[in-house]
Amino acid sequence: MYFTYLAATGLTTGAIYALIALGIVIVYRATNVVNFAHGEMFMLAGFLAWTAHVTFKLSYLAALLISVALTFAISIAIYHAAYRPLMKYKDLNPILLMMIGLSFVLRGVARELWGGKGDYLTFPPLVSPEPIQFGGVMVMSQQVVVLGAAVAVMILFLLLLRYTRAGKFMQATADNAKAARLVGLRIDRVYMYTFGIGAAVAAVSAVLMAPLILLNPDMGFSLFIKGFAAAVLGGLNSIPGAIAGGLILGLTEQLAAGYVDPGLQEVAAFVVIFLVMIFIPSGLFGQKRTREV
Amino acid sequence: MASILSMRTVGFLFFGFFLLLPLVGVNDFYLYIASLVPIYVILAMGLNLLVGYAGQLAFSNAAMFGIGAYGAGLLMKHFAIPFWLTAPVGIFAAIAVGTLLALPALRLSGIYLALTTLAFAQCTLWIMTHWISVTFGASGFTIKAINFSPIPISTERGLYYLAWASCIGLLFLTRNIVGSRIGRAFVALRDHEIAAQSLGVNLLRYKALAFALSAFYAGVAGVLYAGLLGFVGPESFGLQQMVLQLAAMVMGGTASIAGSVLGGFLIVAIQEVVREFRFSIEIAFGGLLAVFVLVRPTGLIDIVRSRYPAWRERLEGYGGYKPVEDERATAK
Repeated sequence: MYFTYLAATGLTTGAIYALIALGIVIVYRATNVVNFAHGEMFMLAGFLAWTAHVTFKLSYLAALLISVALTFAISIAIYHAAYRPLMKYKDLNPILLMMIGLSFVLRGVARELWGGKGDYLTFPPLVSPEPIQFGGVMVMSQQVVVLGAAVAVMILFLLLLRYTRAGKFMQATADNAKAARLVGLRIDRVYMYTFGIGAAVAAVSAVLMAPLILLNPDMGFSLFIKGFAAAVLGGLNSIPGAIAGGLILGLTEQLAAGYVDPGLQEVAAFVVIFLVMIFIPSGLFGQKRTREV
Repeated sequence: MASILSMRTVGFLFFGFFLLLPLVGVNDFYLYIASLVPIYVILAMGLNLLVGYAGQLAFSNAAMFGIGAYGAGLLMKHFAIPFWLTAPVGIFAAIAVGTLLALPALRLSGIYLALTTLAFAQCTLWIMTHWISVTFGASGFTIKAINFSPIPISTERGLYYLAWASCIGLLFLTRNIVGSRIGRAFVALRDHEIAAQSLGVNLLRYKALAFALSAFYAGVAGVLYAGLLGFVGPESFGLQQMVLQLAAMVMGGTASIAGSVLGGFLIVAIQEVVREFRFSIEIAFGGLLAVFVLVRPTGLIDIVRSRYPAWRERLEGYGGYKPVEDERATAK
């Protein structure tokens, strides 16, 4: 009973970590950059949906769509203003510094707009908070909704990547940017959409997660660390790896917190990053990186 | 005119002004602000050795700063050992952890290094907040005012001179490091790791040295900070502190000693202005970091240099901003 409760919670949070990791991985595959501000996109999307749903009394679905569209647009604007000028340097340090600076600005802006330190906003529950029976297992109905929606988003994303033109462009650029440019792809544009789509996936997960958590300006960073831990666990350049990594991290976290010590939930991600980086840097599913001279 | 504005003259005026400041009778609050300047200059110099010269972008410097402060502060608190004995322990703790951190860092670079050190820093912060029986948790702890007893000087003034003396000492140390084979090895491994290796630069040794040196600087700064504040708490050593230090380095000038001094000074000054106007620290320093990386990545010192060529330094300037046509280059 206790185990199934932990497993259900672990799978739900794991599905959200998987979505965040998915956003990190597609951006990394295309551009070789991990977007530090990815968590801030998640956080902004949560607040935007809150404003649409609570302040403007729009339906949940409308709030979801508005939040995703706005996050997509903000992310593309950020790509043009901040990232694109720095992509031309061989060294990654300038763009990393830009990302950490920018994520602070976004966090500060969110704090100014949606409340100060320690101010948490609650998102009204989507379905009744009553737990439901599921063949002898008690689960929260909200968790079922989140899990189902997360799986749907993943499938939708994989279909998009495999069967649409944009998805094929993204795959081609990720595989070999020079070759993609030679055959006439405007890789600059592909990068832009990749950043946008990565942020949109983060936005969907934020709006799905919103009724289960308290919204606050600092949540983006901690979720980014967890999403990154999931991504490196699966291998930073593997999409199935990101999903598996997310689920493994979510389950590990819950089981460690439930059976050993509640404090472990927060450190599990750091420990995973450390161990993976030191012992299996290419992750569980990732391709081995070769050294260039 | 140029001779008056030479680096040496301006340096003498800058440090001379601060060394004479307590004699003209400023109040304790301004003395406290002026004591923060050398601490941030030390931090910026240490970070510059690691990031600017050796090219290892690590996000662990704020954690090292914290380990120095906690190491010295906790010994004072738990065992009532005087500051003079705990300060070296705090500095040594920071060096030890920094050197250990260099071990995983040897295998990692770029984004992997940045994120692993970031995870390490968050983990350190978590320990400071949650190991309550030792670290007193999120609320932090106070330490007794430091007694300079044989020397007839008040605590505030004693610490002020101690901080400035450490800063000037470390400034000369940095200058000598940069001027020696160590500095040249750092720059070589920053600009091309494999080329450096084939020229006989021992990567293991110099990367570990870069991490240990920056941890040493951060440890000294942390010990001084704990003494100055009389309070140690986890909030001072989080990601915000890291952004402050990075902003100090980038704003002043990456891979420049004069730039570190300028950056450290400006960070303290801007922080006070931002507090005065009750503006968001996050937006101010995150924004400064982002804008400088984008618009003037070589820092303010480069403006001075372009006007007064006598301000040139050994191994100056950061190689990372050379545009290179590669896979990530934008298509035109």
